[in-house]
Amino acid sequence: MVLTIRAELRKLLGLPTARVGVILGVLIAPLLVTVNAPATRESIADGTLGDPTDLGFRNLGIGLLGALILGVVSVSSEYTSTGDDSPGARQLTATLTAVPHRIRLLTAKATALVLVVAAQGLITAAATLALTEVVHGDAVPAPSAARVAGAILYWVLITLLAFAITLIARNGVITLTVLILNSSVVSVSYLLYKVTPLAAYLPDIVGPHMFIRSMDLSVRIPPVTAGLVMTAWVAAFLILAAWLFQRRDT
Amino acid sequence: MIVIDRVCKSKSRTQILREVSFEARPGRVTGFLGPNGAGKTSTLRVLLGLDRAASGTALVNGRPYAGWPRPLTTVGAALDGSGAHRARSARAHLRWVATSNGLPLSRADEVLDLVGLTGDARKRAGKFSLGMSRRLGLAAALLGDPPVLVLDEPVNGLDPAGIRWMRDFLRRSAAEGRTVLLSSHLMGELAEIADDVVVIDKGSVVARGTLAEVTGEHSTLEDAFFALTGEVERPWS
Repeated sequence: MVLTIRAELRKLLGLPTARVGVILGVLIAPLLVTVNAPATRESIADGTLGDPTDLGFRNLGIGLLGALILGVVSVSSEYTSTGDDSPGARQLTATLTAVPHRIRLLTAKATALVLVVAAQGLITAAATLALTEVVHGDAVPAPSAARVAGAILYWVLITLLAFAITLIARNGVITLTVLILNSSVVSVSYLLYKVTPLAAYLPDIVGPHMFIRSMDLSVRIPPVTAGLVMTAWVAAFLILAAWLFQRRDT
Repeated sequence: MIVIDRVCKSKSRTQILREVSFEARPGRVTGFLGPNGAGKTSTLRVLLGLDRAASGTALVNGRPYAGWPRPLTTVGAALDGSGAHRARSARAHLRWVATSNGLPLSRADEVLDLVGLTGDARKRAGKFSLGMSRRLGLAAALLGDPPVLVLDEPVNGLDPAGIRWMRDFLRRSAAEGRTVLLSSHLMGELAEIADDVVVIDKGSVVARGTLAEVTGEHSTLEDAFFALTGEVERPWS
C-alpha cells in the first residue's frame, strides 16, 4: 500500500497541470488579500463588512480552485488519450497493469491527493491568515485553530468530491465546468436554496459553515454538523465512484 | 505459463469472446493470430484484469493477474500506445511504474537503454513517434524482469530495423525460458517468430498448435489462416 501511495504521489506531482494546481492554490488567496486590501479597509470603516473574522477565510474559499484542479487532474490524467497514434490508449492501462487491485489503487490515489491538498491547505491558510493580520491589523481578530482546521477540511473534502465526480464521469472537463460554474458564475445550489431550504445541506453550501460565520443564508448550521454533513456527501460520492470503477471495464 | 480457460465475454449484447481456451508455455513464443476485431485484444485485456470476463478463467503461473501483489515482476505487458501521459517524460513515466511495484528507480534507465531510448529519456511521451511509443511501452513491460511477456501487436508502427530488433528480442526472451504471448494480424511476421500459434476468428479459437500443425497442408500460415477463418482475400471488393 505504501508503495502504491508513493507511486501515486510521484505520478500526481509529476504532472505539469497538477503543479499549476499546487502553485495556483497557494498563491490565489494571499494575492486576493493584498489586491482587495484597499476596498476591504473602506468596508471595515463603513461597517459594511459583516463579520470581520470571516475576512481571510473568504479569500481561502476562492483559493480552493487550485485544490480542485488537483482533484480533477489526479483522475482525468488517467483517462486522457496518450497520443494521436493510438487514440484509445490511456495511462489507466499502465496504472491498472501496475496495480490491478482497483480498490487499493483508488485508496492510494485518494490518500496521495489528501496528503498534497492538506499540506497545500495548511500552507495557504497560514499564509493568508497571517497576511490578513499584517494588512488589516487589529481590525481583524485572530482566527481560532478550530476554524482553520475547518477550512483545511473543506479544501480536502471539496477536492475529494472533484476526484469522485471525475471518476464517475471519466472526464475532467465536465467536473471542472460544473464545479467552477457552480462556485463562480451561477450557483445552482444557491438557486435551489431559494426553492427549498433543504438545499442548504448540499455539499458546496453546507461546507463553508465549518469556517465562515456570516453566510448569506437564513439557515444557520453549526460547524460540526456542517462538517459531518459534507463528509457524508463526499463519502457517498466516493463509494459510488469506487463501485463503478470496480465494475467497469477500463 | 498462461492458461486461458473457456473465457466468454459480451459487449453491448454482442458476444465478443466465445469459450476462448489456449495455453502459452515457457520457453516458447506463442502467436495469437486473428483479423481485426476477432477478439485478440479483448482476450489479452481479460488476461490482464483490465476487462472482466462473463465466465471462464485466465491464469498466469497459476494465479489470476490481479492476484499477484507486484505483478510487474511476474508479467510484463504492453498494449496499445505507451501508457505514458503525454505531458510526462519517458523516464518520469517509468519511475512511477517502478515505484508502484517496489522496483529500484535505476531500473528506468536500464530498460530505456534496453529498448534504445536512452537519448529520449527526458523527452515528453506526447512527442514520441508511434515506434518510440511502442518501445516505451515495452520498456515498462521489462521493468520487473518478468518471466512472462504479453504483447499486443508489438511490431505495429516499428520501422524495419525496429521489427528486426523486436524479432530478435522475442526469440531471445523465449530462449531464456520466458513465456512470450504476442498478438498480431501480420501472418508473415508471426510465421517468422512463433513456435505455437492460436488462431481466433469472430471470438472463437479456430485452431491452435505448433506453427507446423496449424499451417498443416497449406503452403504458408497465411493460406492456412484464410482457409480457417473463411476471410475473403479481398474483403473490400
